[in-house]
Amino acid sequence: MSAVEFALIAFVLACGVATAMLRDVLAAIIAFAAYSLGIAVIWILLRAPDVGLTEAAVGAGVTTVLFLLTIAKTVRPAGERTLERIDLPALGVAVVLVGILATTLGALPPVGGAETPVITSEVTQYYLDNAYTETEVKNAVTAVLAGYRGFDTLGEAVVVYAAGVGILVVLQREVFA
Amino acid sequence: MTFIADVLLLTAAAFVLISLAVVYRLVRGPTMQDRVIAVNVIGSNIVVIIALIAAANDDPSALDIAIVYALLNFLMSIAISKFTVERGGVL
Repeated sequence: MSAVEFALIAFVLACGVATAMLRDVLAAIIAFAAYSLGIAVIWILLRAPDVGLTEAAVGAGVTTVLFLLTIAKTVRPAGERTLERIDLPALGVAVVLVGILATTLGALPPVGGAETPVITSEVTQYYLDNAYTETEVKNAVTAVLAGYRGFDTLGEAVVVYAAGVGILVVLQREVFA
Repeated sequence: MTFIADVLLLTAAAFVLISLAVVYRLVRGPTMQDRVIAVNVIGSNIVVIIALIAAANDDPSALDIAIVYALLNFLMSIAISKFTVERGGVL
């Protein structure tokens, strides 16, 4: 871990805690935008610039505007306090959940490791050899997503569709104007 | 080359620490304008940090992300500023 990584993790943690603790939702949205900025730099440090670009567009751009639209339909909290009181039972549940998820960290392969299933599995070579002739798609990634993993992608599309329907139900509207 | 890369990464770390100091202003406020300026400063810092990391890792593709962030940072500040003036008005 380099100095940049330590500083970034401290920054992201500070922004995350600020997002959770701030009572004013607009302030929380601003803190969340700052959090998203920090996370994107971590993606770039981990050599995943495509994820960083998505985080930039979705996390900092679209989500902020969506949250602003959301709070336009809500009211401000009463009282003068800046920070929310900590809900200790909820904090306990969150800490336990993080602890359970943290036990899986040991099973992750090292960053850039040569023994990961992506590299050693025979499926990878099969895709590279046969994707173009079997699916007649110009892009191997598209072939895997839309062809070999078609049902997985269908499931993701169902999730996005359900989210859209959920938004319409919450807004009590019939179409996206 | 490694010395220069180390210097660039340390500079990036210093910029992150400055951003961490600005988080204090983001939390304390007291007004929403302070917070908008704070997140704008953090955004500008992040653009510089991404450029420094791109130079240190010799990875020019990260510079594209820096450009996207420079644009989004502007858009985000405008959206939040407009929202504070005219509640419910976004963009």
